[in-house]
Amino acid sequence: MDLFLQFLGNTGFGLVDWRNLVMIVVGVFFVYLAIAKKYEPLLLLPIGFGIILGNIPFFKGFGIGIYEANSVLHYLYFGVTSGLYPSIVFLGLGAMTDFSFLLANPKLMLLGAAAQMGIFCTYLGALALGFSPHEASSVAIIGGADGPTSIFLTAKLAPHLIGPVAIAAYSYMALIPIIQPPIMRLLITKKEMRIRMPEMRQVSRKELIIFPVVGLILCTFMAPASIPLLGPFFFGNIMKESGVVDRLANTARNAIIDTATIYLGLTVGASTQGDVFLNPKSVGIFLLGAVAFSIATASGLLVAKFMNLFLKEKINPLLGAAGVSAVPGSAREVHMMGQHADPTNFLLMHAMACNSSGVIGSAVCAGILWSFLMG
Amino acid sequence: MYGFEAISHHNGWVAAATGACIVFSGLATLAFLISQLHKLTDLLDRPPKVTVTVAPPEKPVVPPPPEDPLDLERTVERYLPLIEELDAEFVLADLYVLAKRYHLPHVHLSIRTMVEAGRLEPLGEGVFRFSA
Repeated sequence: MDLFLQFLGNTGFGLVDWRNLVMIVVGVFFVYLAIAKKYEPLLLLPIGFGIILGNIPFFKGFGIGIYEANSVLHYLYFGVTSGLYPSIVFLGLGAMTDFSFLLANPKLMLLGAAAQMGIFCTYLGALALGFSPHEASSVAIIGGADGPTSIFLTAKLAPHLIGPVAIAAYSYMALIPIIQPPIMRLLITKKEMRIRMPEMRQVSRKELIIFPVVGLILCTFMAPASIPLLGPFFFGNIMKESGVVDRLANTARNAIIDTATIYLGLTVGASTQGDVFLNPKSVGIFLLGAVAFSIATASGLLVAKFMNLFLKEKINPLLGAAGVSAVPGSAREVHMMGQHADPTNFLLMHAMACNSSGVIGSAVCAGILWSFLMG
Repeated sequence: MYGFEAISHHNGWVAAATGACIVFSGLATLAFLISQLHKLTDLLDRPPKVTVTVAPPEKPVVPPPPEDPLDLERTVERYLPLIEELDAEFVLADLYVLAKRYHLPHVHLSIRTMVEAGRLEPLGEGVFRFSA
């Protein structure tokens, strides 16, 4: 009987903590959202399952948990803490991205820049709430709505916050259909929503090949700390556009990014052990993340309206909301909102142009914040 | 430390403003560069300078007038080499076959012209002799 009780005490049932149970419920909710509601399933399913996995109670000291040296999960988690997975994800992302719409209408890049204002506003907010500059930068980058960038910067500046920052970033990306439309309706009139974008010019192959080189040189000269993200990103893109290494480009945009996404999602989810994750700071991060995301959306929309004051050929200000780098969720939302106002208005590809500039913008922001705090 | 005091203490205002300016100006520069990119590629795509020589318009070729089989001198001149290939007295059919082989025009008419002009003298039974 004693042996049985001793065994029982070492099982999950005996070791369970209420915080683990709360997190398991959160994990199950994420899995539910991914499968039943199809909210960003590629992200939420691995993360949700990872949350459940990371919160199974275990006997500490046996090298089982993600924070225990020499555990399998710890080795897999190294890809997160070292910034390896985000770099690999960016490689695949580059090999997927079509910059032709951005090259055809370069002024849309300004919307990608405008949406980054959420990051700097939230940086101030986080400092005001008592976060250290390193933590504030990690929280603020959630406003870029770019999961891998958020994880990368947090791994470099405040590794103890990776769990909450990653969960907040990916949660808000999944919640785009809930967060962005009210802000769009609040700031953009029906008439503005109906503005049609001009037909795009044909972009030559040479332009598409030169762009990754020019983009890489300019962005990384400006913020060298963004090399681990933008280097693979533009490399992936030139592999795609050159057309001479289709095999490599295909592997980058399929097998490689998928593998990285699986391990990134699973280990980030598993890093949310209740005893580490559930604390007042995490709540603050979630609140600030929502603020960051909302400000990013609003600043994109407002700058688009501002640009229209000077442009002869007006742009649809809804595109400003796609300046956050949540690819392709925010572009899809902009398109749907535009279609709601005028079913014959197609904004998707224009919004994708803003999205891709948002990816570059948030990576540059991460590089700048990291550079500021290096010293 | 919280609020504005914390922001000022960590130099937050300057960091945020500088960061925002760098991102905005950087992406604006990139936007400007890519807006000029097509001009650069147009330059690269410009075809090499080639001196094109414009050929003078060709004069219409006037086909030579068809030979007149009734022109005796010309016909004789044409048929003489053929007649010389034959015996002195020859069957007219042989001359006809030879003329056809050399693709001479209007064989029938030409031979008739020469016969009527007495340049081909009939010897009877289809045999002829050239009369200079």
